Amino acid sequence: MTVNVFQAALFGLFACLASMPGMGGTSFGNYTLGRPLVAGLVVGLIMGDIRSGILIGAAIQLVYIALVTPGGTVSADVRAVSYIGIPLAILAVNAQGLDPNSAEAAGLAASLGAAVGTLGTVLFYGTATVNLVWQGMGWKWLEKGDLHKLYLVDMVLPWIGHILCSFIPTFIITMGGATMVDLMKTYMPMDGIAMKTLFTVGSLLPTVGIAILLKQVISKPTDFLTFFFGFTLSAVMGCNLIAAAGIGCFFALINFKIESMKIDLDKIHVSGGAIAAGVDDEEEEDI
Amino acid sequence: MAEKKLSKAALNKSFRNWYYGNLTCFSQEHMQTFGYLCSMLPLVEELYDTPEEQKDALMTYSAFFNTEPQLGALVVGITAGLEEARANGEAIDSDAINGIRAGLMGPVAGLGDSLVVGTLIPILLGIALGLSTDGSPLGAIFYIVVWNLLMWFGMKFAYDQGYQLGGKAVESLVGPTAQALRDSIVMVGTVVIGAVAATWVSISCSPNLTLPGGTTFQSTLDGIFPKLLSMVFTVFCWWLMTKKKLSPVVTMLILVAIAFVGVLVGFFDPALSY
Repeated sequence: MTVNVFQAALFGLFACLASMPGMGGTSFGNYTLGRPLVAGLVVGLIMGDIRSGILIGAAIQLVYIALVTPGGTVSADVRAVSYIGIPLAILAVNAQGLDPNSAEAAGLAASLGAAVGTLGTVLFYGTATVNLVWQGMGWKWLEKGDLHKLYLVDMVLPWIGHILCSFIPTFIITMGGATMVDLMKTYMPMDGIAMKTLFTVGSLLPTVGIAILLKQVISKPTDFLTFFFGFTLSAVMGCNLIAAAGIGCFFALINFKIESMKIDLDKIHVSGGAIAAGVDDEEEEDI
Repeated sequence: MAEKKLSKAALNKSFRNWYYGNLTCFSQEHMQTFGYLCSMLPLVEELYDTPEEQKDALMTYSAFFNTEPQLGALVVGITAGLEEARANGEAIDSDAINGIRAGLMGPVAGLGDSLVVGTLIPILLGIALGLSTDGSPLGAIFYIVVWNLLMWFGMKFAYDQGYQLGGKAVESLVGPTAQALRDSIVMVGTVVIGAVAATWVSISCSPNLTLPGGTTFQSTLDGIFPKLLSMVFTVFCWWLMTKKKLSPVVTMLILVAIAFVGVLVGFFDPALSY
């Protein structure tokens, strides 16, 4: 199995679309095409082996499901994970004659994905830095009142950065295909320090994304209990995410009722007891 | 002077510009500012006649902007309503609009990140992975369809709501009852983020690390609390970023150093092979 020029070009194109910040937009680019499971389908279609694509994509998705990129902080680059990692993993699994549905294939895919994903963060910072050039031009055009050039700055010129930082690296690496996998295996053996570190880093990195989310949602120390509650629901009691969301909603409802009562009490405090009955009646009717 | 009213076409164009372009020209310095300018441009062009007025109005939105872009459609909608009111001569100046924008960035990011990114995506991907276990494309297709429908219509809804409520939306987002509601919604998000950390982060120490008596260190850790290491590392990263004010990049580098040392001393060993 090899990757031809046409296939490598398609991977490059999808890498441009799927990046964060990608040319496919946030919702359809980064959060759809950039998810390894979806990329597995796309890569599978391009390489003519949907089953392998999905199985490999799912194996890599498992590692990155908790990987979120709030506040423009990227700990693993989705374009590299999805459109360099998955093609390489399919080639490697194929070359070794592994069944894509085996634990060995999943392990191999996850390691390759983590390796290129971590190295790929360079591409993210590269794209964002190139965009500074277009933004600089944008400010000048805005000063001059050349307002329509803003579309050029926001939606057209960033393609240039993507050709440099997404298309070309993806094209060259996937074109190299099997040779690249061999190179990686030679220079970064799995039992060597480099790959062990890389894979360990891959398992540690999702905690950064989760911690960034926590930074957003935790405003007082007791909020940690809420997080710990959710953690315990899943780790100890075996709830899946939907169950945890259901239980969370229930507690949130109780919290909201208590908070609403506090607000009503404050109102009574301010305006005396006279309107208290009225406020209560309104609340009852709403429910 | 007849009252100026934004046309459906201009609003749709503004929404589409935001939906597509919110992050396309992202840089660490300006983040979503240019996406914002592009989504305000069709509105400004319709509301003001002379190029000077258009430029002056647009300059309002050149201030830094960054939030969760999908729920952020709400903020763009609100400013569309405010800009319309300003064009009709209401006493709203640039500072007021930017005050509102700046005031909403944080709460909207908190809600959006915890609900959309932290809760909805992991849940949808979890279902999709379940549908794709045997290599069937069904799960991937499920995710593509459900996620994109939810986002397109959800963002449209948020934008329209913001536009219709205008300045009033701010009240319903920052008043005491809104605060209580927001805290409660964020609470759901926090619970699910906890569950996501426990379900999808798996940090374990080397299986070769054994204690006297033959039990592995990992099983001892699991005996104390399941997934203890995932919890410890998550809280550690939070502590580094919040209490030590380190940037996420530095935090990542620290994790790389920990992984390297951990592998050297034999604490971590992923035990994988090509």
